[in-house]
Amino acid sequence: MALLEAEHVVMRFGGVVALDDASVDVDPGLVTGLIGPNGAGKTTLFNVVTGLLPPTSGAVKFDGADITRAGVAKRSQMGIARTFQKLEAFNTLSAFDNVRVAVEKNHRTKWRHRRVNDVAHEMLGKVGLDDVADVTVGTLPTGSARLVELARALACRPRVLLLDEPSSGLNEEETSSIGQLLLELVADKGSDLAVLLVEHDMSFVMGVCARIHVLDFGKIIAVGTPIEVQADSAVRAAYLGSDEFRGAYVELDE
Amino acid sequence: MILGLRPPVALAALLAAVAAVIIAVFNWKGAPVTSETFLVTTYIGLFLGALWAMYATGLVVVYTTTGVFNFAQGAIGVFAAFLYWELHVNRGWHSILALFVVVGMFAPALGVMLDIVIMRRLRTASLVVQLMVTVAIMVLLLSVVGDIWEADTPRRVPYLFGIENGIDLGPSQLPWHRLIVFLAAIAIAVAMRFLLRRTRIGTAMRAVVDNRELAALNGARPNVVSSTSWALGSMLGALGGILIAPELGLDPATLNNVVIIAFAAAAFGALRNLPMAVVGAMLIGLLRAHTGAWLDFGPDYRFAHLSIAPLILLFVVVALPQARLEVGRLAHHLRRHERFTKWWEGLIGCGVIILLAVAFSGGWLDFGIWDPGAWGSRELNSANEAMAFALIGLSLVPLIGWAGQINFAPLAFAGFGAFVYLKLAGDTGNGYWILLVGLLCAPLGALVALPAARLRGLYLALMTMAFAQAMSLIFFPHSWVLPTIGVGRQFPHIELLGATFDDRRGFFLLMVCIFAIFVFGLVLLRRSRYGRRWMAINDSQAAAATLGIPVVWTKVVVYAVSAAMAGIAGVFWATVSGNVDSVQGFDLLIGFNIVLLVAAAGVSIPVAGIFLIFIPLFTGLGHRLEDAGNVDFLVTLLDILTTYGPGMLVLGMVFNPRGAIFEMGRGFSPILPWRSDARAEIAAENAQKREPEIGELGLERPFTPEEVIAIDRRLGILDDVVPKEGYGASRS
Repeated sequence: MALLEAEHVVMRFGGVVALDDASVDVDPGLVTGLIGPNGAGKTTLFNVVTGLLPPTSGAVKFDGADITRAGVAKRSQMGIARTFQKLEAFNTLSAFDNVRVAVEKNHRTKWRHRRVNDVAHEMLGKVGLDDVADVTVGTLPTGSARLVELARALACRPRVLLLDEPSSGLNEEETSSIGQLLLELVADKGSDLAVLLVEHDMSFVMGVCARIHVLDFGKIIAVGTPIEVQADSAVRAAYLGSDEFRGAYVELDE
Repeated sequence: MILGLRPPVALAALLAAVAAVIIAVFNWKGAPVTSETFLVTTYIGLFLGALWAMYATGLVVVYTTTGVFNFAQGAIGVFAAFLYWELHVNRGWHSILALFVVVGMFAPALGVMLDIVIMRRLRTASLVVQLMVTVAIMVLLLSVVGDIWEADTPRRVPYLFGIENGIDLGPSQLPWHRLIVFLAAIAIAVAMRFLLRRTRIGTAMRAVVDNRELAALNGARPNVVSSTSWALGSMLGALGGILIAPELGLDPATLNNVVIIAFAAAAFGALRNLPMAVVGAMLIGLLRAHTGAWLDFGPDYRFAHLSIAPLILLFVVVALPQARLEVGRLAHHLRRHERFTKWWEGLIGCGVIILLAVAFSGGWLDFGIWDPGAWGSRELNSANEAMAFALIGLSLVPLIGWAGQINFAPLAFAGFGAFVYLKLAGDTGNGYWILLVGLLCAPLGALVALPAARLRGLYLALMTMAFAQAMSLIFFPHSWVLPTIGVGRQFPHIELLGATFDDRRGFFLLMVCIFAIFVFGLVLLRRSRYGRRWMAINDSQAAAATLGIPVVWTKVVVYAVSAAMAGIAGVFWATVSGNVDSVQGFDLLIGFNIVLLVAAAGVSIPVAGIFLIFIPLFTGLGHRLEDAGNVDFLVTLLDILTTYGPGMLVLGMVFNPRGAIFEMGRGFSPILPWRSDARAEIAAENAQKREPEIGELGLERPFTPEEVIAIDRRLGILDDVVPKEGYGASRS
């Protein structure tokens, strides 16, 4: 059974329909992709799932329970963690302290300072930010700040990790190491983590995702494996003329 | 939906109505209600409402179009009223001409000037900086008024067309002035609504606040738009001030306080809805007039009918829906590294503070300003006041400086602390009760924050202001709270650790020690998980919530901590003068000044409170100079510094939001032997300023002009760009 489900979510802003009967399900143990052209409603769906936006109609279910009305913090405590497309790192805190805030809230540390620090260092190490641990995040380059957000989300001990364009601002090498990290995380049988990934970098998406949902104008137009999605005519129509998708398609065909 | 209201709103309205009926029944004066008296009371209420509606309209227009909530709206009205008096009464100009010059020329000029010099730069500033700067403008305008038109001459602004001309209403008559005010207020509100909703500039005005760049791309001119809004807002404030002055008298403080009622009215329209803001103003006006006419609250609650505005604000805050956590609004990157004071640095700093205090007060340090020998009683009095204010100021550091929440009521919390202490230890002066004072003040802080913590920060700021006003109108005047029986010392000298601090110097040193303990505690707190969490909330509430941090609860806790600190400080504040009058004489303006000074000093820094010492220090210095004689200009200079200093310093926050101590610290810290990081940072900054060498760019020589043109052509940017010199060529 899916760990996280968004069912028939509709989100209207005045006359604009950002999400129109969108349903997404995320399974533990694999990376699920959510792609779509700009303005398709991907970030809006993230905001609905994490509780930042109350949907006009529809439901969000986590582990079988309806959480549509639960608050943001409550959902986080249940195990939903996320990063943001537009950075929301704690700019005045150091990278280390950004992660520590999350560790202190989400790990039973019984006030043991050293244990908190160990976990925070471990998380920073996972995303490869050891050497800038003490740097104020506001002064870091965008890509690094994005990784701080990732480390912070990991420190929440998530059961579902929602990543909003983690690769933007990163170079190719860093992107592939993030992809590697995601695959390692979901492969870990003990954690049984589910990842929902919004991404524009098609080769990255096609490389790490087991299933992909395609969103266009607020509607889910296709669901399937990367191969199935790329073969889908509706998807091709939505992306027609978009180089990023065609490029990825060719790449995968080879 | 009940009668078109959401259930919580309907419930709040119902409760408010029931409470109003109960209050009315128990306090009925018993005056006969006739149709004439009822009519007259109603028209007075509508007239008052119309005046507040005018202010509220200005507030709403500026807020919807620029996103800045203008605390100086009332002060603009004060200035305009005095200027009108000067032109019309003092210089004998015709009233229409004077009105035109003040409202039609001076006010828009002031608005545009404020926009160009200050407000435009506040667009991306934090709420703390935005509010502090408008409050500073308020304080500065009031100081200017106080300096130009000294308080010793009685002044009156006449009614337009005289008080005696008007429509006969039986028992009394409705002067033209009031009728015109009422019609003008309605007409202005309708016109502004039309302007914002139906005209091109109005649409542009509303668009610019939502997305400045996008609006600019679509042909709106953001700078023209914001100047227009400020000019309009300023005109409305000026008109309101001139029209209300005949009713209230020409007193800066009274006239300025009118704006608090306008805040409540604007809040009634959720700060953006003009018709509802006008309705709110009328509602407050009617309630004020009718409670004044029919109810009698007895001597203990003699000011209760004035507290309707704060109560309306409380109602609005309870009824408003929860604010969404905003994402994607995070301001740009920081340019500088943040560094938190280490605990041993805090310890050293506190030691230095105590040593300096001992040395100064004992007269061991002498810079030729002070008489040789120890401080006299006058200096010690000034110093004691300063330390008490500094302690109160410290309570704002975790709240404003770290969590980014605003509190305009530090004095109200301090006064509450003094009250609790008086009840607990009033006879003995036993200092150990002070700890309990802190514990009892904390819930009050939480209570004030609770209704507004789920809303945007501005509502919390307004809520603290309403709380401050309600306390000074309802709570402190009550004879049981602070009994003013007899004269002399009501707050006994504090006894602590077996000593009675009855001499001024000893008490001064005690307060310095408490100050040092507070500062050290703050240094530790900032490095703790709580300090981190509070700063995280200030940076991004949405992100904090997605980490599982309960944002509303966290804010409430910070307010509780701040209130506890302010309450403890209040005990010392009350003990300095020893008289309850000082606690009762609570003044929103003094509260503003404390907040302003701490903000100007750098409110995120634990020692910022020490800046408050400057006010009494200057006063003390002034006394010395007066005694010395023949230094009038220096005395005047000090006067100007104390009057305008706080406001001017805060205006500096436009350019340097971190405050003065932060900047001083940056200059000072490289000297400290263990701060190699500060030296490295300065070196790195200097390295960045240097232009790169040609070799570092991977070039062997600068580009020639021909090459630059070729490059531009290749990039397709040559069309309208004619290069004067080759890029980089000037350097060779």
